[in-house]
Amino acid sequence: MNLEGKQQVWKDYQKEIADDRYYYARSCIRQTFFPGSEWAYLDILKNKLGKDVLDDPRHTTCTGIGYHSDVVPVQTIMTVVARHFALMTEAGYENITPSCITSFGIYTEILETWAHHPEIEEQIREYLWKATGREFKKPKNLAHTSDIIYKFREDIAAQARYKLVDVHTGRQLRGVDHIGCHYAKMFPSKGIGGAEFPAVLSGMISSWGGDVVDYPERRHCCGFGFRQYLVMANRGYSVANSKKKFESMRPYEPDFIVANCPGCAMFLDKWQYTISEMEGTTYGQDGYGIPVLTYEELAGLVLGYDPWELGLQMHQVAVEPLLDKMGIAYDPEMKYRTKEGKDIGRPKCPTYLKV
Amino acid sequence: MGDILKRLREDIHFMEGFNSCMNCGVCTAICPAAEFYNYDPRVIVETVQRGDEGEIEELLKSDTIWYCGECMSCKTRCPRCNTPGLVIMGLRKVSQELGYFVHSEKGRQQYALKHVIGESVLKRGYCVTPDLVKPEMHPEQGPVWEWIYEHMDDFYDRVHGNLRKPGAGALRAVDAESMDELHRIFDVTGGTEFLNQIESYSREKAEEEGTDLEEGYFLRTYMENSGNHQ
Amino acid sequence: MHTVIIIGGGPAGCEAAYQLASDGIQVHLIEKNNETGGNLNNWYQLFPDRKNAQDLNKRLQEQLNHPGITLHLGMEPSRVEKDGQGRFSVSLSDGSLLEGDALLVATGFKTFDAKRKEEYGYGIYENVVTSVDLENMFRNHAIRTSKGDVPRRIGIIHCVGSRDEKVCNFHCSKLCCITGVKQAIELREMLPESEIFCFYMDMRMFGPGYEEMYREAQEKYNIKFIRGRLSEAAENREHQVQVKVEDTLLGRPLRVTLDLMVLLVGMEASNETQGMARELGVKLAPSGFILPLDPHYGNNLTGEKGVFITGCCSAPMNLTDTLNDARSAAVCITRYLNMK
Repeated sequence: MNLEGKQQVWKDYQKEIADDRYYYARSCIRQTFFPGSEWAYLDILKNKLGKDVLDDPRHTTCTGIGYHSDVVPVQTIMTVVARHFALMTEAGYENITPSCITSFGIYTEILETWAHHPEIEEQIREYLWKATGREFKKPKNLAHTSDIIYKFREDIAAQARYKLVDVHTGRQLRGVDHIGCHYAKMFPSKGIGGAEFPAVLSGMISSWGGDVVDYPERRHCCGFGFRQYLVMANRGYSVANSKKKFESMRPYEPDFIVANCPGCAMFLDKWQYTISEMEGTTYGQDGYGIPVLTYEELAGLVLGYDPWELGLQMHQVAVEPLLDKMGIAYDPEMKYRTKEGKDIGRPKCPTYLKV
Repeated sequence: MGDILKRLREDIHFMEGFNSCMNCGVCTAICPAAEFYNYDPRVIVETVQRGDEGEIEELLKSDTIWYCGECMSCKTRCPRCNTPGLVIMGLRKVSQELGYFVHSEKGRQQYALKHVIGESVLKRGYCVTPDLVKPEMHPEQGPVWEWIYEHMDDFYDRVHGNLRKPGAGALRAVDAESMDELHRIFDVTGGTEFLNQIESYSREKAEEEGTDLEEGYFLRTYMENSGNHQ
Repeated sequence: MHTVIIIGGGPAGCEAAYQLASDGIQVHLIEKNNETGGNLNNWYQLFPDRKNAQDLNKRLQEQLNHPGITLHLGMEPSRVEKDGQGRFSVSLSDGSLLEGDALLVATGFKTFDAKRKEEYGYGIYENVVTSVDLENMFRNHAIRTSKGDVPRRIGIIHCVGSRDEKVCNFHCSKLCCITGVKQAIELREMLPESEIFCFYMDMRMFGPGYEEMYREAQEKYNIKFIRGRLSEAAENREHQVQVKVEDTLLGRPLRVTLDLMVLLVGMEASNETQGMARELGVKLAPSGFILPLDPHYGNNLTGEKGVFITGCCSAPMNLTDTLNDARSAAVCITRYLNMK
């Protein structure tokens, strides 16, 4: 594979990302499965990079999962998002940074639709006024939170305590990047690197010392498919698509997967367990799985945050093999304890997947 | 023009998603649903393009339109700038407006989605919260999640969550005023009506089958898989 | 005596020069490269008769030995002006000045830059080549993968950069289908053991003998034609190309692993064609090619008096049509000059 060819593509898709003063919008899935990532993101931005981020408790879900499950109409989601814009405007911010990829895709789609159909924007302004008495300005800059981390990846590298390198052998760790479908597939120009060779995560891996794995099913969806996972009867769709990706990446022996979509990160983690229970197959070394990280977790590890404070114990695939390779010190005793150190038991062991 | 086509052509997703199709198959080639189900987004678009009202009605009553995962991978590829995924969103909307969705197994699942996601949005202000991911309904989540679920209140604190408490932070309780605004948005924009419509068509269907909507009918739509989809 | 300035020394420009000179008209033929022939220089064999492309090229070159033709090789027009009497003066890149009574634009096409179809990985994946690269491989009689092996499975991809709104080309390049058939047959002759696939949407066999050649490719050469447009390609660890395509006649998504993938790149107006159109104030069609005054009766005429067009600067054409079009342009110009 010719890296220069990719670099040319990356040059063609540079995206404007605001430098400071962000309005943060949390994600239903990320806060449920990766609350530590949201905390780490804010902590990195505020305390390591010195940025101004507003974590506004008044915003709600964007209703995106309902929208893509076809139970929430488009006018409704547009008005909910318009309310978020209003909260941003009232707080004196102009740059909005959703943490969820589904939200990011929806915000992008809404702004594009309004640009093509100003009459729809007008209608939504009326709805919002009628429902809440609020008015809004459209954001000056819309970026996903992974775009922000990408933008400051070198600043993070400069403060790094650990690198994506095997401390025992000096080998660069091999990272698989998984980009959420709604990041750039709908609007390629809105993603760093475009839809085909996105650089948003691979850029982080490279800057932090790792080696990027490009494998045949890289672009394939993780299989969430909204209703295809949410309804129990449909979950075969989800697991089958993730499996396709694992089979395709396995020969490259990746040390970790990093995702910018919270749903993808969760599924790629949990489905490894499910597949191991269904078929006895595991995809990592020696019966382990391939650790799956959010980009906030990856940044957090590089910066020396405590793995359990980041919430890595919430993963079904054990992250210890990765921590050991990176030479990160951690207390195994503390993994499953509360903040106060209270013992609350520990999860049962899977049948095949080593943890 | 028949009623269905008229509704479709007024739908913003349909308008944005459909120009004209030359049946090249780039959408189907990379479609995660086409790999798993007996499903072909190209054929959906071709059916809509033919414009036969009866044929489209049949489509709206079938399982077929419910196989798509709305990943929108098709949007990147189409050489005519169609988006079959958006066409599907339009078809699903009309199927629910006209009550056709209760005719198919996969369509009836809209009740489960309304019940789980729709009601969660209106009750908690979030699409998903930890208490919704019940281990018995989510065996695929595995033992770590089961452990978290059982120790939710103790656990989230450790990872900087603010579970169901006021103020900022992950999983905070959404304040009453924001919840009121959210409800009013749903009322004003037709969101509440749309959810009610799903419920009333489903209730009719449940009564027809002699099952209780929130128990038997819900569980069936959530779990039933006839296995006739691949 | 009248003088005509022809810009572009590909097959159209060369043939028009010869026809005009044979009618006793003085011709200045300007060619930016150091040899004439244009895109024909990159071709190995012609369709449908499989004649050596360089034989035709040589013949066209020999015709330029006519005493009425002055050849300006390695030159580009830097400025074109028209006076009140309808005379043109063309400044060349070396500072010299040519004068003429009519101008013939024969600036031709360029092949689509396959890198713009990012999902096909040209310039990134090692075993993805264009139809132009393949012609070059034919000329060197070396069809090999990047590792130097004989490709066991080869895929030929139709419509690369054509009929594709995503790269802003709505038009059909017309020649890629038959080029694909020709190249598939040539590959089969050189690699009798390999599997060869063509992934197409429509087989547009518009010329005499083309449909017959397509049929021969199926019956005699065992080329497999799959009706589906390439959706995306990826590279595996062995540097093979894994493609995703739907077999639309079966309604099934397919994954095929190829040792070599050939992109049939379409045709776009060359930069010189677009530059001349701007310089001369003639209109472009939405396809980017020069818009003729009338598609039936004025296909060599433009809206500008005394400015004529020929060959692929106005639309994709095969060589037969290009040479005919050049003769047709010569007739139009001769009549125009006689009426002056």
